[in-house]
Amino acid sequence: MTSKLKYLVASGVISAAMMSASSAFAAGTLQGTDIDNTVSVDYQVGGVAQTQETATDSFKVDRKVIFTVAEATPTGTTNVVPGQTAAVTTFTVTNTSNDTLDFSLAGTQLAGGAAEHGGTDNFDITGLQVFVDSNGNGTYDAGTDTATSIDDLAPDASVEVFIVGDIDISQSNGDIAGVTLTATALNDDGSAITASTDTDANTTGVETVFADTGRDGIEAAGDDYTVGAADLTVTKLSRVVSDGVSGSNPKALPGAVVEYCIVVSNAAGASTATNVAVSDDIGAIGNVTFDGTFTPVMNGTVVTGDTCTPGTDNATYNGGTDTVSGTLNDIAAGETRTLVFRVTID
Amino acid sequence: MIKTFIKTAFFAAALMGGSAAIAKAPLQLDSDIFVERQETRADGKKAVVLAQPTTVLPGDNLVFVVKYKNVGDSPASDFSVTNPMPRAVRYAGSSDGQEVVSVDGGKSWGNLATTKVTNADGTQRAANFADVTHIKWILKQTLAPGEGGKLIFRGVVK
Repeated sequence: MTSKLKYLVASGVISAAMMSASSAFAAGTLQGTDIDNTVSVDYQVGGVAQTQETATDSFKVDRKVIFTVAEATPTGTTNVVPGQTAAVTTFTVTNTSNDTLDFSLAGTQLAGGAAEHGGTDNFDITGLQVFVDSNGNGTYDAGTDTATSIDDLAPDASVEVFIVGDIDISQSNGDIAGVTLTATALNDDGSAITASTDTDANTTGVETVFADTGRDGIEAAGDDYTVGAADLTVTKLSRVVSDGVSGSNPKALPGAVVEYCIVVSNAAGASTATNVAVSDDIGAIGNVTFDGTFTPVMNGTVVTGDTCTPGTDNATYNGGTDTVSGTLNDIAAGETRTLVFRVTID
Repeated sequence: MIKTFIKTAFFAAALMGGSAAIAKAPLQLDSDIFVERQETRADGKKAVVLAQPTTVLPGDNLVFVVKYKNVGDSPASDFSVTNPMPRAVRYAGSSDGQEVVSVDGGKSWGNLATTKVTNADGTQRAANFADVTHIKWILKQTLAPGEGGKLIFRGVVK
């Protein structure tokens, strides 16, 4: 039976009621709770108070299955480097149902297409696994967080879930792997949920209604991995410092001092390069001799035209091999480091 | 002996007509609960309809209908209808606005607009729908035999 009584209460009153909503649970009254409405009437007949009359109407609150899967904050792509193992993306599963639920979990990979945080998926991580944050610390702990499904998530509770995988060493800067976590709601004994198809007025049993997106008890969220390999370029600059003749604009005459600058740059957006070893065989240049009056220096960061501002750390000259060498400090994305030495023209 | 027989016969009649005996109460009460549902009609327009509470979920809007009728043969007067709010339901207003409310479990009564709630720190604030524990209609008019009416109010499943 349906009837239309939509003008019962002015709509302004209803919205006021909604705004003042303040129940103990965001998830609402737990499923199976009885709502018994008992009304009583007192009255008199012939001026004499009569026995109170009462009437009751009852029904049970049904089960509303609603939950979310979202990338855990802070959101954004997960930066990885080639060869990294156990690279983690983190998701949060939140149960806003009015019942405790289990969830099965599945991690899948995009097969091309737009990744969650921009760019196009172009590779798969290897050894993809899904784990629940069993100890609730928000960080993947190998060997501790071993559960692969969510057991007994209470109303209003949430838990973090990790997708874990390895990055192949062959991946290069800017490669993107998109992943998706899918959670399927289950009864708290792990069995599948069947939504009620009953249209009868069932006021005594608990029925189940899917209220999640798509009304199917399945939710998913995406995230992605972005490979940040170091992207180094090396250039070698030279300039004549003095020729012993000219007051200015020295020329590359025999006996002139020439400064070489080896410039190592890491591209913007690349990963920080560490342990960058530079060596230069002076013998291979030909017709020059190492200038022992100028100690080779490295880790300069400023290059103007062909002139490098020398760094302050000493590099090494090995007379036996006639080689200048040094290991530069870490080079972050967009940064440059130099190694400077001088020779004289034979 | 005859006296006893008559008594017995009277009780038998009372037992046989169980429903009739209840109907003898001069005032009849009936409480019904409906759920508001948004339905999309064939023409795409949305309409709010009242349905039986087949499935009731947190957040659903409920409409409570209390029907009363004088089925006795004398006029009834000074009657009041009291409805405690079910624990899982938040009051959301009545259709006639003539009710008084209680926010303290039925001890004191007043209009919601002028009712105050004492905070934990001793300060007072205006009561709102969520504070209402009981609602009551005090009906001044006399209800003649055969007369009745209904009271309608709303609630939201918490």
